[in-house]
Amino acid sequence: MRKSLPYLLIAPSIIALLSLIIYPMGFALVNSFKFWNLQTSPVPLYDTGFDNYRMVFQVTPFTEALQNTLLLATLATLSQFLLGLGIALLLNTHLRGMTVARAILIMPTTIAPVVVGFLFRYLFAPNAGLVSWLLGAVGVAVPPQGLLGSPDTALLSVGIADTWQWTPFFAIVLYAGLLSIPEDIIDAARVDGASRLNLLWHIILPFLRPVAAFLIMIRFMQLFNSFDLVYVLTGGGPGTSSRTLSYNLYQEGLVNYNIGLTAAMTWLIVIIVTIIINIFIFTVFRRQEW
Amino acid sequence: MRVSASQKILLYMLLGIVLLLFIGPIVWFMLLAFRHPSETYTIPPTLFFNPTLQSFATTFVDPGNNAPQLVNSLIVSTGTTLLSLPFSLAAAYGLSRFRLRGKQFIMMWYISLLMAPPIVFIIPYFILMTQIGWAGTYQAMIVLLQTITIPFSVWLLKSFIDDVPVELEEAARVDGATRFVMFLRVTLPLAMPGIIVTSMFAFVFSWNNVIFPLTLSKQATATLPVGTISFFASTGVYWNQIAATAVVAMLPPMLIFLLLGRYVVRGLTFGAVKG
Repeated sequence: MRKSLPYLLIAPSIIALLSLIIYPMGFALVNSFKFWNLQTSPVPLYDTGFDNYRMVFQVTPFTEALQNTLLLATLATLSQFLLGLGIALLLNTHLRGMTVARAILIMPTTIAPVVVGFLFRYLFAPNAGLVSWLLGAVGVAVPPQGLLGSPDTALLSVGIADTWQWTPFFAIVLYAGLLSIPEDIIDAARVDGASRLNLLWHIILPFLRPVAAFLIMIRFMQLFNSFDLVYVLTGGGPGTSSRTLSYNLYQEGLVNYNIGLTAAMTWLIVIIVTIIINIFIFTVFRRQEW
Repeated sequence: MRVSASQKILLYMLLGIVLLLFIGPIVWFMLLAFRHPSETYTIPPTLFFNPTLQSFATTFVDPGNNAPQLVNSLIVSTGTTLLSLPFSLAAAYGLSRFRLRGKQFIMMWYISLLMAPPIVFIIPYFILMTQIGWAGTYQAMIVLLQTITIPFSVWLLKSFIDDVPVELEEAARVDGATRFVMFLRVTLPLAMPGIIVTSMFAFVFSWNNVIFPLTLSKQATATLPVGTISFFASTGVYWNQIAATAVVAMLPPMLIFLLLGRYVVRGLTFGAVKG
């Protein structure tokens, strides 16, 4: 009894979660080998072997969506980290008012991504949207269809909206990390004549590394899965220029009702995501004890 | 850090720019909710205008199509939070207080669920819920949101229970208390702030979730964020009403984060960073 107690305590959560995951995984596996479109039939029609897996690449812009997703996740995570680090260092000057600034700075992160989408649609509206108007006023050429309507800037705009929402998250967590660096280490380095840049590079950044790695992992994966923002801002367009993997799956499944094809796509995405998560977990948590 | 007066001015200017960039857009969007439809877009954009409450009246009073969505959001978020608590509290206590084989693996498994793309589950869930007659019900959303709130809550609660000194429990045990009584009398009260903080975060995450309500609610059970999307009608975009609904949807998470204060860092990092 004593030995099994901890397992009994953990079991309900694991059973609940497994039952919520195994069903869709199994469902997707079985149906990925069948032809099934909900518009023509309420049940799967016939076996197609690996056709669905091939069709994912032939019928849907899967490769392009994968490229878009990787580009978005990499660049946005990197910008958020760098901007967040800068703001954290600014907060860390401990000038009067920084505590209040820290408390209100987190606000963008609290907003539902869908609402952030609307907010940026309003800002990015062609001509009269605040950002478009400001850019025009300072002489930056905005595409006539607007930033969201042009294939060159649509994905970039999604990245900007996400960066706006999540930079404060990096800033306040990295600031908390800065606060945990022992004062005397910084003082000792300064007494030894270390420049500010040296201090940053050799003391502050190594200290922040575990926190930074954790944040980058979480944000990269959230961005890799991003759907809400894309759904409201661009609908994956124009054309397929801002389509992400999640949006591609949504389009095939809940717009075209192509269940078999979507099931195959589910497994491809699960495999890709599992690989990335494992790379992250093994690099981020290798030396950590929980 | 010692800074000179001129550096100080520079730093404050930087802070001003940061706040303008990150808070300005929110204010600008909130103003939209108070604008008259004819003033949605003006060239040049104007900061000052005659405010009207018309958009709030239309969305929440007469005809007030969004008022039931506010109630739905409350039902779904509260239900989700309450359902995930017993599961995650038990698991967090087990993981915090016992030596377990594969503990690290179990913790990683929870967090990898938080990093999985929920969209890949949507179609099977949609079909499952239709088959068992749960499509469009509150319970469909509440059960599926557990895939997010349980793993999150286990991590955060574990970090709070880790903070409760084991010695206090052991003292109670010496007095002959059973483990369950010990948990109720000692650990639970001391972990209560953590339980409240965790519940508040779980509430916000459910509140802001769109993918499950978008695909699994019907008109009568749609939540507020889904309500904002419905204004994106083919007949035109009702910007002022979107903004009015969005402002109401934005306020609870904002207030909760202000209340959470120093726990924000801890919650957003699932307990991994203790702010």
